[in-house]
Amino acid sequence: MSTQTHPTTRSDASPNTGPNPKTGTPPKLGSKSDRFATRVFGAAAMSFPTWAYVLFFFIAPVALVVFYSFGYKPDQFTAVATDQLSFDRYPEAMSGAFVTTFFATLRISVLGTILCLLIALPFAYWLAIKVSPARRSLALALVMVPFWTNFLVRTLGWQIMLSPDGFLSNWMQGLGLLDAPLDILYTRTAVQIGVVYNYLPLMILPLFVAIDASGHKLREASYDLGAGKVTTFLKVTLPMAMPGVVSGCLLVFIPLNGDYVTATVLGGASGSMIGQLIANQFNTAQNWALGAAMAMILIIATLAVVGIGFALLWLGRTIAARINSVQLTDGRV
Amino acid sequence: MGQNPDVRFLAPRTAAARLSRRAVLAGFGVVGLGALSACGRNTKMAASPAVDGKLESKLNLYSWGDYDNPALIDAFRSKNDVLVQVDSYGSNEELIAKLSTSRGTSGYDVVVPTGSNIPQMLKHNLLQELDFSLIPNFAHVDPNFTDQYFDPGNKHSICKAWGTTGYVYNTTKISREMTSWQDFIDVAQDEAAGTTSLLEDPWEVSALALASLGYSLNTEDEGELEEARTILLEKVAPNVKAYIGNVATGMIQGSFTLLQAFNGDARQGMSEVPDPENWKFVFPTPSANLWMDNWAIATGAPHPDAAHAFINHMLNPDTAIEQLDYIGYPIGIKGLEELAVKADLTQPELIFPTQKVLDRLEASKQTPADQIRTKIFADAQARSGA
Amino acid sequence: MARKNTFARRTPTDIALHVWGIIVFIYLFVPIAVIIAYSFNNGKVLANFQDFGLGAYISGINNDVIISSVVTSLQAALGTAIVATIFGTLGGVALARARRGALWALGLTGLLGLTLVTPEIVDGISFLPWFVTVGVDWGVSPLNNGLVRLIISHAMFSMAIVTFIVRARLAGIDTRLEDAAADLGATPWNRFKDIILPIAAPGIFAGALMSFTVSLDNTILSSFVQQPGYTPWPVYIFSAVRVALRPEVAAISTLMFLLTLLALAFVAVVLRKTGGSSTEIIKTMAP
Repeated sequence: MSTQTHPTTRSDASPNTGPNPKTGTPPKLGSKSDRFATRVFGAAAMSFPTWAYVLFFFIAPVALVVFYSFGYKPDQFTAVATDQLSFDRYPEAMSGAFVTTFFATLRISVLGTILCLLIALPFAYWLAIKVSPARRSLALALVMVPFWTNFLVRTLGWQIMLSPDGFLSNWMQGLGLLDAPLDILYTRTAVQIGVVYNYLPLMILPLFVAIDASGHKLREASYDLGAGKVTTFLKVTLPMAMPGVVSGCLLVFIPLNGDYVTATVLGGASGSMIGQLIANQFNTAQNWALGAAMAMILIIATLAVVGIGFALLWLGRTIAARINSVQLTDGRV
Repeated sequence: MGQNPDVRFLAPRTAAARLSRRAVLAGFGVVGLGALSACGRNTKMAASPAVDGKLESKLNLYSWGDYDNPALIDAFRSKNDVLVQVDSYGSNEELIAKLSTSRGTSGYDVVVPTGSNIPQMLKHNLLQELDFSLIPNFAHVDPNFTDQYFDPGNKHSICKAWGTTGYVYNTTKISREMTSWQDFIDVAQDEAAGTTSLLEDPWEVSALALASLGYSLNTEDEGELEEARTILLEKVAPNVKAYIGNVATGMIQGSFTLLQAFNGDARQGMSEVPDPENWKFVFPTPSANLWMDNWAIATGAPHPDAAHAFINHMLNPDTAIEQLDYIGYPIGIKGLEELAVKADLTQPELIFPTQKVLDRLEASKQTPADQIRTKIFADAQARSGA
Repeated sequence: MARKNTFARRTPTDIALHVWGIIVFIYLFVPIAVIIAYSFNNGKVLANFQDFGLGAYISGINNDVIISSVVTSLQAALGTAIVATIFGTLGGVALARARRGALWALGLTGLLGLTLVTPEIVDGISFLPWFVTVGVDWGVSPLNNGLVRLIISHAMFSMAIVTFIVRARLAGIDTRLEDAAADLGATPWNRFKDIILPIAAPGIFAGALMSFTVSLDNTILSSFVQQPGYTPWPVYIFSAVRVALRPEVAAISTLMFLLTLLALAFVAVVLRKTGGSSTEIIKTMAP
């Protein structure tokens, strides 16, 4: 994921030496220059189907929605009209219910991402370092298995468990842990539990890969140089795991922010998320212009939060770099 | 817009091919957007295949949740070898959004809109004309329920069921005797705070507040709607736990003590909860909705023959009681009440409201003020979530 | 060595980590266990356990609508895997061979990145009007088919994943290999087939597996583009949630869970035969 967001960093992985057609160094042999031309042309041409697909089935539809967001709803039965374009839907979207739900959603998704990270970090560390390699494949597969089970089905599992008439509630009352039926279903807590659960594997995997890639040798070296466990974790393992943290947070935060299925199953009225509001504009209210404007605000806000995250990260790294004069190797995944 | 589909029928195949080529070209250049903005509103509908007397192998029914006896659907399936898929919606708005958004490609055949929504749906060409030669059982429909204002001559729709709106509450949690919408609002803020559910329907939700104020449920007066909005947002919405289309689920899950409900759904819920004696349904004063849902076929329905056959199957008087007992709403078949008495159904008082109740009901209508109702509903939902 | 470490140096931290690992595994599996347990509910409503039995399995398997939605899901997932893998592999190979700073490559990377950061709901609401515009207004009638709509939208969703996996896989290869092959007279097609593809193969496989999974699991996007008759399994469940969940849903989910385990075991065996390790594949798959 980190490579996608920094497209230009890719080239530093290319191990080419000598005359490098990729960097445009003039080739030594004249005959190679034609081949160079055909190959570059070949690569560009080869990307054409992917380009076309993305343009036709991503850019065009999204552009259409962007366009709709400047339209309006002319009457009850027409979803959108675009004969008069204006920015009016944006202030309309930002007023009233949307803003409250929006911040509630942001709270659920930011908190959810942080909880995922807190749960996954020690777990991934354990998986990568403390579990014997022989068992690691099995353990990893076990992490993947829930990911392979339909996420709605897993959410239903939670719905059953959290239900006030469910077995968990009855057991807890039977054991005297609760004196009234469990009152979690259809609350924000239920949504929080559900989203953390649903997106946890997406946090564990990149973290595991990053920590695993950091290698035992560096840690051993750190111990040999007299660093304690805590120091080693903070100064070796954690910095090396940073790319995993970044991609894990992105993988969790972005889909979580637009999720509304979990909220629909577990949240009732009080766990409603912004995705539901947007979906309602399309599914029931039939106000595409307003729904499109809300969707645009969601994208912009999501990117803004991601941007803020990256800015904080950059700040943290800069400060850390000042403190640690020793530069560790770049922790690429 | 009504005449557009005819143009589609007549368009020769070569024209379609030309269109598609242009489409691809335009798409690759993303010039499509320019073309779209030129069109402004696009209202063309995809056409339905013509009825040809041969049943298709599939049928897609889009209806209110759990609104048909599964045994009857199964019987239709095994008799005609048609795979019936049932999807559900929680409000007419949802149905209309689905049909109008996909403009004839929703894939649904049989739909069940409420009468009040039918004029607008017809105006926007969302429903196709029925072929009564394929629905001989129409003869069994009670004349009281045919030829309604929303579809004179039943060209596009046939009565499926009718009912009213009220609420159901758990008497172990709410000891007071409830009779009116005002009681509903009071209890929602008190005993049932946080365990109340409302219907997923903008008209019904605003109607409960309008009724408590004594206004007409179909009012278009902005001041009256504003008063209703204040009550809903400040008194009701903060105490609402969920908005549920079919209350039977909510009653079974046990999270709710007070639920706004359609009468038949409440009866269905009572038949599924372990403690039906603890639940009570109220036909509240001063008024409530009197609605009629109707069988209809969507424009662009891919399986029109099966759709007609299905509607005919569901109107069979021999199975009327089975259907009635399952859904808990009177269906528009002649002599149904006598049949029901003979069949000795449970809780018939929930199926057939008394004349006294019927007299005070008010049938919902679509008005331009529905946009305000939609907005009130959206704000109430957000308020409940805050 | 690692094993020795694990057992030799068992500090309180290690014990705490082990406990934590086990707790997380329990957390990950509890809801699945609940669904499996409730699949044996003979009652009418899923959440209300009445008595133990296999009734839900029998009626689930005999429920044509459920079975056809599972089949639709599998078809869509297979179609998605094929489409996304073809387009994604071409894109990934092209990107890996791109000249540094080539505008088309930066643009494609950016666009694919954008598809990944766009919330699914935005994709969903975009696709529906677009399919209607192209399918109804422009008369491209294949786009009015539910399965085609599912495959196209899911493939768009996973194309970026495949592209980036394949590109990452090819990022390290020496371009001189290709030059040498060209010097020896290999045609571009032969170079692609005999050099690029074998190297990219694990990435392509991982990408295909990933797009299959993503498609099988997709709910939000599908619920916008789905048509009845082509309702995928998650959307079937999602609409059942609103009415009344029957134990059949749990029974079929349990069966699918078992099939998934079998499929994973199969993949693991194949990998072992071909010399790849599952850890490696998972590492390739994690973006």
